[in-house]
Amino acid sequence: MKRILHVEHSACTSQLCQIRDKVREACYSLAYSESDINLITLVIDEACTNIIRYAYCGESGRIILEIFQHDDQAIFHLQDFAQCIDKSCIKLRKKNLLEPGGLGLQLIYQVMDFVQLLPPKGLVGNILELKKHLPKGSQK
Amino acid sequence: MTFVQKTHLHYQLLALTGEVDLHNSPQVRKQLLDIVKSGNSVIVDFSALTYIDSSGIATLVEAYNLAKNKQLSLTIVGARGAPLQVMELTHLNKVFPMIDSLDEIKG
Repeated sequence: MKRILHVEHSACTSQLCQIRDKVREACYSLAYSESDINLITLVIDEACTNIIRYAYCGESGRIILEIFQHDDQAIFHLQDFAQCIDKSCIKLRKKNLLEPGGLGLQLIYQVMDFVQLLPPKGLVGNILELKKHLPKGSQK
Repeated sequence: MTFVQKTHLHYQLLALTGEVDLHNSPQVRKQLLDIVKSGNSVIVDFSALTYIDSSGIATLVEAYNLAKNKQLSLTIVGARGAPLQVMELTHLNKVFPMIDSLDEIKG
């Protein structure tokens, strides 16, 4: 498994722009199309937003983003150090388009091929793992 | 992200520039809801918008619902690139009136 990116940011909305820039750059190096880069950048941003809003509840904290290339997939790990959340929190629920809430999670499931919560490395925290197939012919 | 509000025919036009995310969507929300609450139909200009996240989309949905309740309208003009992809992915392009250019707005 080859690590493409490892960045650590404070869990603050002012950091989202920088995180998006780094995701775009990493996805570009993985030969994703412009359209896929837009969508992957969006869902990583949504995942970070959910960490800031619901894991840290607006309190200070850190987010570690790692991107790996493994076989024909890109693997995205988003780690926080908040209280462990229940796995049911990332289950997709049926949503009316015009009702508030849950849109970020819906986008994550629509864009990514695989979504799961991994056990934390320590006593606290969460690791969200997202996987997306690489474009055909881009695997080295 | 910056925005400019101006009058276009009998609409209020809110032109967004740059990237709308959780950091700045509360500003957009306030501006947009203020326009609708004051009884104006609104056109949101996406021409110079390069990114919008779900908090920005939720803001649009809230303003759209409020406008509808007041028998006003909310129209999006000039969406392309990443913002258009988000609208399509959420199927909101089928809910919101979306036009390519202000020329399509009739006085």
